[in-house]
Amino acid sequence: MSLLGALNAGQSGLAAAQASIQVTGNNISNAGNANYTRQTAQFADGPDQQIQTGVFVGSGVDLTGVQRQIDNSIEARLQNATSENQSASTTQQWMTQVESVLNALGTTNLSTSMNGFFSSWSTLANSPQDAGQRQVVIQQGQALAQEFSSERTQLTSLAGSVSSQMTAQAQSADQLSSQIASLNQQIVVAKAGSSGDPNDLMDQRDADLTQLSQLMPVSSVQQPDGSVNVYVGTEPLVWGAQSRGVAVQTQTINGQATPTVVFKDNNQAMPLAGNGQLGALTDLGARITGVVDQVDTLAHNLISAVNQLHSSGQGLQGFTSVTASNTVADTTQSLDSTAAGLDFTPTNGSFVVHVTNTTTGQATSTLVPVTLSGGPGGTSLDSLTASLNAISGVTATDTGGVLKIAASGSNVNLSFSQDSSGTLAALGINTFFGGSNASDISVNSTLAANPNNVAAAQNGDPGDNQTALAISQLATQSLSSLNGASLNDTYQSLVNGVATQVSTATNNVQATQSVQNALQTQRDSLSGVDINEEAVNLIRQQQAFQGAAKLISVVNQLVQTVIGMVQ
Amino acid sequence: MSSISGVQLARMSSLLSSDTMTQQVNNVQLQLAQVQNQISTGIRVNVPSDDPGAASAIMGLQRTLSAQGTYTTNLQQSQSQLGEVDSTLSDLNNLLTQAQTIASQDVNTGVTASSRAADAQVIQTIYSQALSIGNKQFNGAYLFGGDKSTTAPFVQSADGVQFVGSTNLLQNQVDPSTKITFQASGAQIFNSLSSGANGTANLAPNLTGTTLITDLKGATGTGVSLGTIQIGNGSTSKLVDLSHANSVSDVVNAINGAGVGNITAQISGDHLVLSTSGNDNITVNEVGGGATAQDLGILKTTGSGAGASVTGAGLQPQVTPLTSIASLNNGAGIDATHGIIITNGSITKTVTFGSATTVQNLLNDINNSGANVLAQINSAGTGINILNTVQGTNLTIGENGGTTAADLGVRTFSPSTPVSELNGGQGVGLAASGADFQITNSAGASFSVTLSGAQTVQDVINKINAAATGTNVTASFSTTGNGIVLTDTSGGSGNLTVTAQNSSTAAADLGLSSPALNNVVTGSDVNPVASGGLFSDLNNLASALAANDPAKITAAATALQADQSRVQLVRGSVGAQEQQVQDMQSSLQDEQTSVQSLMAQLQDTNMPSAITQYTTLQTALQASLQTSAYALSLSLLNFL
Repeated sequence: MSLLGALNAGQSGLAAAQASIQVTGNNISNAGNANYTRQTAQFADGPDQQIQTGVFVGSGVDLTGVQRQIDNSIEARLQNATSENQSASTTQQWMTQVESVLNALGTTNLSTSMNGFFSSWSTLANSPQDAGQRQVVIQQGQALAQEFSSERTQLTSLAGSVSSQMTAQAQSADQLSSQIASLNQQIVVAKAGSSGDPNDLMDQRDADLTQLSQLMPVSSVQQPDGSVNVYVGTEPLVWGAQSRGVAVQTQTINGQATPTVVFKDNNQAMPLAGNGQLGALTDLGARITGVVDQVDTLAHNLISAVNQLHSSGQGLQGFTSVTASNTVADTTQSLDSTAAGLDFTPTNGSFVVHVTNTTTGQATSTLVPVTLSGGPGGTSLDSLTASLNAISGVTATDTGGVLKIAASGSNVNLSFSQDSSGTLAALGINTFFGGSNASDISVNSTLAANPNNVAAAQNGDPGDNQTALAISQLATQSLSSLNGASLNDTYQSLVNGVATQVSTATNNVQATQSVQNALQTQRDSLSGVDINEEAVNLIRQQQAFQGAAKLISVVNQLVQTVIGMVQ
Repeated sequence: MSSISGVQLARMSSLLSSDTMTQQVNNVQLQLAQVQNQISTGIRVNVPSDDPGAASAIMGLQRTLSAQGTYTTNLQQSQSQLGEVDSTLSDLNNLLTQAQTIASQDVNTGVTASSRAADAQVIQTIYSQALSIGNKQFNGAYLFGGDKSTTAPFVQSADGVQFVGSTNLLQNQVDPSTKITFQASGAQIFNSLSSGANGTANLAPNLTGTTLITDLKGATGTGVSLGTIQIGNGSTSKLVDLSHANSVSDVVNAINGAGVGNITAQISGDHLVLSTSGNDNITVNEVGGGATAQDLGILKTTGSGAGASVTGAGLQPQVTPLTSIASLNNGAGIDATHGIIITNGSITKTVTFGSATTVQNLLNDINNSGANVLAQINSAGTGINILNTVQGTNLTIGENGGTTAADLGVRTFSPSTPVSELNGGQGVGLAASGADFQITNSAGASFSVTLSGAQTVQDVINKINAAATGTNVTASFSTTGNGIVLTDTSGGSGNLTVTAQNSSTAAADLGLSSPALNNVVTGSDVNPVASGGLFSDLNNLASALAANDPAKITAAATALQADQSRVQLVRGSVGAQEQQVQDMQSSLQDEQTSVQSLMAQLQDTNMPSAITQYTTLQTALQASLQTSAYALSLSLLNFL
């Protein structure tokens, strides 16, 4: 035992206390930093000295390192939970917007517009001779078409925003993964050959990982050299100091151009499984496209059902000439073939053309059969034009696939009825709506210009209302093209689908939030700084410092005493 | 709601405690905001995702309300229209009462000719008032025009008032399953279109390839329900899907396309025939409980042996405007070359059908003839009717040298006409005993004819011919126009004459009183179809008054009484409809109220519970804030 040994021990105590105070100071100043991991100074006893045979005395304290208080398993689970929570809240956020576009319980939506439209037909049925009420029907039709196209535009622009957000998020993810890779490298270098950890760099990397986990479902595997490998599913994203990079590429999935998150190095699609913001956004693209498709289906069936009835009806006056609004691509092929290229497919059947002498009011009717074959041989536009031309008083011409039927003679006009084939509706002759889905639905422009052609009648009498009555009942009618559902049912299931998605997402947000909170709590409990605890530490370290200083002072006195003895 | 409950903690860091408190405050505030929104809007379900189940029900109810709004409009419209009809009929009824009062006063003896003539003027005024009632407009449409409401339904023609409106009455939807008629029939009220030649012939068209399935009554008379049938030949069988067949040729093509053995289908007459060129034992069966084979008349569950054909039952195709004339009468067609002669009042028109190929052409030719008749297919779809659109005229339809009118079944007077129906149902006045008339030929030879026992006009002709033996006089039925024709070929210098005997009026009643021309007596048509009607009855009364003829005044008054009771009948049914509309309106209102209250229950905020919840949350928030403030301000550092 030597006094100098004690002096050394005191000095090591001072150094230890100083280091501890520095760690505590660092902890206290980072108390508000969410990314910070509480650090503790690690000490070890100084090596024993044998002061006499068999008797050992410690030689003070050694600072062995400053360690982060972290549980990597909690961190991993937290990253997972963060991905899930971000996915749910992104889904909720966007689907809520879809829901608000549909505005199902609001005052203006597809349902109210459809009701207004069909109701106007019912009102027309009350006074079918009224030209003014026809104007109302056209306006209601235009309002409905407008509602369809505006909802569709909003939905597609939402889908566009989703895809641009996806690009932006993918850029962030790309940056984060590069940062993680570069931090990996720095950590490996810093750690090489030393026993301590570069805690700040590791905190920084953990913060980047947490941010990355908000964007995509990542799992990280700690490596002995201090780096972490980051995986998406089973695919590595960051491997040591290498990042494969993240990008968005438009890929064709199920025949549709779909923006997809890929690894930048080989354009391989990332297995996001719908998690993280990017996973949610990928799915949202498809979800919103699904809603757009449903709106299109609704519009398509509405157009088809209304037009089928309307094209077999008659207005207040006949046509002197009527031009098809749809073009046939191949006029030699059966009208139901894909080569003919009609949006609405006619079926076998027939329709009746009435040539009315306006002087006598007498009509001559001719049945025009439509026999389809799906290819060549069936009723084509060419053969239809020929059979129409065979009717006395009718001149049919086909200009570039557009059929025009005109009355030949000055006091003759045309009307149509009993179209069991849907041919007139498919060609766009005497139809109410033009277009084939929500994007291009409109009121037939020739009809809008001439409301007297709005067909309320079915038997040719100008005061008849049977077509108006039939159209007014369409909304609730079961349609075979909708597998027996009605237009109202279809709209309802569209809204229900979105509502269920939003409410599921809302529930998911809450559920994943509570998981995330629980894990965050555990993490904070372990890794967070407690000021009070640090204050206690500080007092203890102060006392340790004071003690060590006192020790040195006492030892100093003792040394002086010993020196004095020498004098 | 997220919380930290359930997590056992070893340590509470400063960040954790502040985070936890922030979360708690956030949660409470979020809930407060939701409840506050519910309270301030009064609506619990603002967007469907708030409660998808309730939202779906709410949207259904919203649609119901919207539909009910439409029904309310329709009912109001029906009510005002029916109300207008009611009050108009009331006006008409008053006019008729007035006319009858005048008639009953003026029929008394002692009323002078001049006062009757003056009253005739009054009746003329009533007539024009009734006509303007018939052409009354409401809401821009003619009230009694049916679905031809854009033109005046009653038109004054040379012989009387003509009805050019329609008997199709408009309907509208007043609840999901009920349509009500909101018009009254002008033809019924004014008794137009009530007479004419109702076709007696079943025109029985044959099948053609283009005959539509929907125009078939089918083998059982209930239409054809399309589905799948199974055709077999004894060894194999195939299913033939006919559900998309539109025309008969689609059916034939489908069966032929199936190619079961050598079985082929073809159209024969009014039925289908399945035959084979091989040894097929043809069977036709229903599939899945359908009735397609039966409706198509070709059900054959047990084959008749190898090579035997299956002759289907008649499919009873209906007569439609598009039916070709050649296919009528089981393919025999009609005599289209000669045509018919229509006489209506002062108008006589010969209508020929030389260029007509379809029934519609034929109807158009008749309707366009200018004879003021309305030719249409009867409601059963078996033949045609030719109705007189003019009131107070006599309509006769006869042959024009051929058999057209008989083929169509529209000849008003023919050999088969019962004698008792002649002269407007008064029949023929026979002698009490002995002969009815004597016919003397140009050579002076005469013979007497006793008609007793003759049932039909043909019997009369036969009796004349039997009595005329050896006098070169023959009786026959006219082939041009209608009437009995007596032809004298004896070549004498005198005149062929018909003289009544034993006070019998038979000769005149049979139309044989006109003198002979070139030794031929052309009998007149003694079986015209007289059309009555309110306007003609008023006109008759005016004429009778002007002519100072009490008997005719009485007759006209009796007819007007029938007119009035018809008007009252219609008015009664209109009143009942109005009542129905009113009942429906009030029940619709009740329904609307209950739908609205149900919707409120689903959608609206339950205020007491929401406000209680709000207060609770407010307290919780206050507590959170207070404890947070206190806890966060606590630090050991304060005490150092």
